[in-house]
Amino acid sequence: MAKYILKRIVMAIVTVLVVSCVTFLLMMSVPGSPFASERALTPQQEATLNAKYGLDQPLPVQMVNYLNKALHGDLGESLKMQKGRAVTDIIKEMFPVSAKIGAMALVWAVAVGILLGCLAAYHRGKWIDSLLRVVCTLGISMPSFVVASFLLILFCSPIAPQLLKSAQLTAIFDAGLGLKAYFMPCFALGLYPMCYTARLTRSSMLDAIGQEYIKTARAKGLKSGKIIFKHALRNALIPVITYLGPLVAFTLCGGFVVESVFSIPGLGRYLVQSITNRDYFIIMGVTIFLAAFVVIMNLVVDVVYKLVDPRIDITKGE
Amino acid sequence: MADKQKKPVIGSLQPDVDAMLDWDRLTPDDFAPAEPEEKENFIQARRSVSYWSDAWRRLRKNGVAMVALGVIVLLVLFAFVGPMLVPYGYDERNIGAENLFPYHYTLEEQAQYQEAASAADPETAVANARAEAEAKGETLTRKEEALIRAKAKSGGEYAGMSEAEVYAALGIHKHAFGYSNKELQRMADGEKVFPHMFGTDKLGRDIMVRTMYGTRVSMIIGLAAAFIVLVIGALYGSISGYCGGKVDAVMQRIVDVIYSVPEVLVILLISTSLQPHITQFITDHQGNGLAESMRTLGPNLIAMFISFGLLYWVSMSRIIRGQILQLKQQEYVTAARALGASGGRIIRRHLLPNCIGQIVVTTCLQIPSAIFLESFMSYLGVGVSAPLTSLGSMCRDALSGFTSYTYRLVIPAAIISVMILAFNLFGDGLRDALDPRLKK
Repeated sequence: MAKYILKRIVMAIVTVLVVSCVTFLLMMSVPGSPFASERALTPQQEATLNAKYGLDQPLPVQMVNYLNKALHGDLGESLKMQKGRAVTDIIKEMFPVSAKIGAMALVWAVAVGILLGCLAAYHRGKWIDSLLRVVCTLGISMPSFVVASFLLILFCSPIAPQLLKSAQLTAIFDAGLGLKAYFMPCFALGLYPMCYTARLTRSSMLDAIGQEYIKTARAKGLKSGKIIFKHALRNALIPVITYLGPLVAFTLCGGFVVESVFSIPGLGRYLVQSITNRDYFIIMGVTIFLAAFVVIMNLVVDVVYKLVDPRIDITKGE
Repeated sequence: MADKQKKPVIGSLQPDVDAMLDWDRLTPDDFAPAEPEEKENFIQARRSVSYWSDAWRRLRKNGVAMVALGVIVLLVLFAFVGPMLVPYGYDERNIGAENLFPYHYTLEEQAQYQEAASAADPETAVANARAEAEAKGETLTRKEEALIRAKAKSGGEYAGMSEAEVYAALGIHKHAFGYSNKELQRMADGEKVFPHMFGTDKLGRDIMVRTMYGTRVSMIIGLAAAFIVLVIGALYGSISGYCGGKVDAVMQRIVDVIYSVPEVLVILLISTSLQPHITQFITDHQGNGLAESMRTLGPNLIAMFISFGLLYWVSMSRIIRGQILQLKQQEYVTAARALGASGGRIIRRHLLPNCIGQIVVTTCLQIPSAIFLESFMSYLGVGVSAPLTSLGSMCRDALSGFTSYTYRLVIPAAIISVMILAFNLFGDGLRDALDPRLKK
């Protein structure tokens, strides 16, 4: 077990390293000096600036320097968006916003998704199963910006139904504006993962229900609800856990859109803005940070996966 | 045995000997060798059912999948045939037809509206009222006159009403499709004008044509991505699975690394860093065919294709590797190897054809996810470059004015959802048809 975790950690480090190097090289391949957009510089001034930022050294040396600095928490400075501000500082300010929305969306998505999946499996073939299947297939077919747009139309446009604009309803969300502000982005962000989780849970639950030990439990006279939620769910959850890793990445990237739609000052929106503004240090720093975050989350999920299901023989790599 | 009457089984390969032989009346002719024609008639062959026709039969029974297929066909017609029927270009500005709604009022109705809504001249209103009052033998007080003036100034009885409400109050209904006033005039002069069925945007571009082109872009990207994924994923997965051992281990570690990198980040990164290079290339090679096509596609789309090629095939390769790992234990592979077949031949002729069902299904389900990703990137503004459009970028453009021009947001959003839904449902149906074991 310890060996496995160690191996996974090494893999994760290699991944982050590869991503960082590729990011750095790609960004450095962009022609033109980063100071080109400033007013015209004399060659001497430019040389001084290059020396100051270490840009006069050969590329591999620059890369090692950058990575070394990155390890010490220095990802460079913003060149345009917030001139002179450290990228780590920006990440520190913006990431918690994104993480909060992402985490809330994930929590509701997974919780509701598992519940609906169990419900569908329990009522297999009944109308409730069909209804859930329709809803979930629809849900995985709508990009988050479509969901967000429809929410906006439903709640905020002049053609919104009067019922939804009534004072009583908005008052529910208005308690200190806390929930109201989170409701729409979290719903838009979590709908796809929710539907995907529900579909996954349903199919793995059906697998689990077909097992012998469930028959035994039934023969013992256990109630259906107890069988589903206590015995079958444990085994049915395993594929759901494997999906959590990609889900984190998905939510993170989905956040780019949702943050843009709802003007949330999160890291995703900032990254997109910095791309339109071509602020290379921010792009580089945030990309490396987010990639590292996703890799670490994947690592955690894999280890949890192993802890949850000791039957899986990970030494064989499967 | 005679009393045991055998019922002839239809389609049975066993000839019904009892009925054919009448033992009492045999002539020497009956012992003559059969003609080739007779021999053929004797064998009751059943048409062999191939894998594909069997799958097609199963698929046809699946109502949902067939409806999805129908929707896909309609969308393909919409995207590829549609622009030929509409006389507008996707980047053609129709001067005077800016910001049209997908409905219109006729010129007379507009005149009626103008008359009703425009503030009647306060003095004429007062004079009219005075004349009216005098006819009745009354005089207006100063206060009444002031009231009439104020009412006329604020637009008469329709004061404070929106355009739609005024039209409703006048009892005028909307007519389908958008026409600009100029176009309405031309129609009144007897010319035929193609309507703007979905209205126009703020530059006067026909939204329906743009939607058609957007759908086309999304579809082409979906298909191209599926093709890239198919080729790379099948190659990589089959080699990894077939070789096994150390080769497999190394190849799977590479897959692990790629798998944990979010592709959206990579697309963003590649498109950012490629942009200057591609712009440079285009300016350096003016008139070159490759440069021209690159200009149309734009750096973002090229980056997207590169990222598909770099990252997107991972899940496909995993699925195929799993299949190959199972299949290579089969006897026929051992037999082929014993006969001296090379590894490449075994993969090509024996292993891949046997997991064709999985390959087709995964490829098909790859299409909607690529469309999904493309619309996502376009929505963020790193998709197709203007003036080319895609459904995602149309949604993005529409967002800022969605309260007034809701239809501009709804139409592309609905089409993209329907398209992804149809591909998903069809892919599911295909999976059930090609691989009934997987049916859940």
